[in-house]
Amino acid sequence: MLSLRFRRRLLLILAGALAAGCGGARRPPVLSAPPGPATPIEDKAVPSTTLEEGPDLRAVEGEGAAGLDLPTGDLEGGPLANIHFDYDSAALTDEARSTLEKHALWLQSHREATVTVEGHCDERGTVEYNLALGEQRSRAARDYLVTLGVAASRLRTVSYGKERPLDPASTEEAWARNRRAHFAVSR
Amino acid sequence: MERTERPSRRSSAQLRRRAAARLVGLAGVLTASALVSATQEPVEQIVIGGVTPRFAVPDCVVRQGDERSRSACATISQVLRNDLRFEGLFQFVPDSLLSAIPPLHPEAPRFEDWRGIGARILVVTRAEVAGADLTVEVRVYFVDSGQTMLARRYSGRADNPRVFAHQASDDIMTLTQYKGVARTRIAYCSDRDADAKSRAKELYIVDYDGFNPRRVTVNNSLNILPVWSPDGASLAYVSYRGGGPLVYLARIFEGRSVANLTGERGDSQAFSPAFSPDGRRLAFASNRAGSMDVWIAGADGADQRRLTTTPAKDTAPCWSPTAQEIAFTSDRAGTPQIWIMDSEGLNVRRLTTIGGYNDGCAWNPSKQFSEIAYTARLEAGGFDIAVIDLATRQVRQLTQGRGSCEYPSWAPNGRHLVFSCRRGTRWELAIADREGRSTQTLATGPGNNVQPDWGP
Repeated sequence: MLSLRFRRRLLLILAGALAAGCGGARRPPVLSAPPGPATPIEDKAVPSTTLEEGPDLRAVEGEGAAGLDLPTGDLEGGPLANIHFDYDSAALTDEARSTLEKHALWLQSHREATVTVEGHCDERGTVEYNLALGEQRSRAARDYLVTLGVAASRLRTVSYGKERPLDPASTEEAWARNRRAHFAVSR
Repeated sequence: MERTERPSRRSSAQLRRRAAARLVGLAGVLTASALVSATQEPVEQIVIGGVTPRFAVPDCVVRQGDERSRSACATISQVLRNDLRFEGLFQFVPDSLLSAIPPLHPEAPRFEDWRGIGARILVVTRAEVAGADLTVEVRVYFVDSGQTMLARRYSGRADNPRVFAHQASDDIMTLTQYKGVARTRIAYCSDRDADAKSRAKELYIVDYDGFNPRRVTVNNSLNILPVWSPDGASLAYVSYRGGGPLVYLARIFEGRSVANLTGERGDSQAFSPAFSPDGRRLAFASNRAGSMDVWIAGADGADQRRLTTTPAKDTAPCWSPTAQEIAFTSDRAGTPQIWIMDSEGLNVRRLTTIGGYNDGCAWNPSKQFSEIAYTARLEAGGFDIAVIDLATRQVRQLTQGRGSCEYPSWAPNGRHLVFSCRRGTRWELAIADREGRSTQTLATGPGNNVQPDWGP
């Protein structure tokens, strides 16, 4: 029977040999030597982590939304119609321009109104790139309104990417409806 | 965790070769990158103390026969086995052989019995519940020599035995060169709390094995893109609760949060917060300079600097493990692709060349690997998770036939990824190893579950 010490040394040699022998890009992970026979037991306290539900709610209670209506309740009603975009594009179509011209007129005769221009995408893109595309769409609509004489201070933009579709279906029709800028009016 | 189908390696390889062939046909001439079968890399050989670790994990033994101890023991056995299996490094003696062994004497195992069924490493667990407390002892032995590799006693509250097993699994993993993931958690976004009026999306965290989902935000608004701080104490995320999208930082175990971390003004918007590996800096996307750009700041929001300056859409930054570089999505060349720059915004160069739509980079945080995962449109009609090797520029496709998958996030040890897939009508989280094997759905509750971030 091999002595304990010899066995341990043998294991070490084997371990070293195995480590050296694998010449590929990945060296197998090796424990160099096992601990001795009389290993004392180590005590460890297991932490308990508690997460109280709704810490964020507590944190923001008392902060008013800064005068701006959260555009969540009104699901796309309002006096200004949506405009729509081609797939993967933020370019204004002729129809979109025509609709924006009507909006500019409306805003001229409702001088107290301010507008949040929301940019949205259909579900077929990725989360983050769609947030950027939605931003581009809302800015395109906003910038055109400004060229039509609407004061920039009356307009703000928000991108929703694909996070807030109007139509949850996965059809060409639904996607076309979702590729939109929406105009949420506050007065 | 539910397990879905486990395709044989050969069929996966065949599928991937077919996919690669289709891709070559579609893409015409390929440049330096090439799509390769994920299974061409050799299976990793792991050795502990000179032996291939073939584990025997017999049932936990109770000190007293009371019901609570038995129940805790059963949970510990199940969770520990699951955790060790998940790491994908070890072999296990089949359960059927375990039952052939006479009852285990935890103080003095009969190693010849275990040797007889081919075990090289024996994990002995004992548990006892006393009042509100649970004590668990774990000993790990080399079967050949009878020597102890690890001996721990865990004590804590009895209401969550799973945590004990996760701790034990991570401690056993210290015998390898890898850090275990058993105690890690995943943050994600879910619409399960929405009603027709609010259409809210709220943030959740869940144990890596899908247990214990807990809601983090309760503000009835859109909350998206959560990321863990490297110390695991905070989540940064984007919330629309103040009207427009801003980055918030929530110390989730203390109930404190900071609004508008990136200091947006007027109506500028911020997205995609990403902590540097040391937690000291934050990269993010903002449109304050006109178009969407990548910016960085200190983790407290100070010292902000714009890194990208094109009128193109530049977004979705991710840090290299050394924090020297940042990869991001840009459509400056016409379509969304992954680009890389240094953390000063210099030396900008394109990374992805396969496919017409690549987004959502995640840089493998382990310095052992040099690769970036991302969402790629490799086949028509949806997305898949891809990984590009930074040295060879080879791309491997990790998902196939799971519907559309996007938004990969690496486990802290870089050996697994979590992402979100939609097959049918619902988005669910899924986990795969970095070769795309062992893909499993991670059931975390109802609704659409998306945008996962794998934290410490």
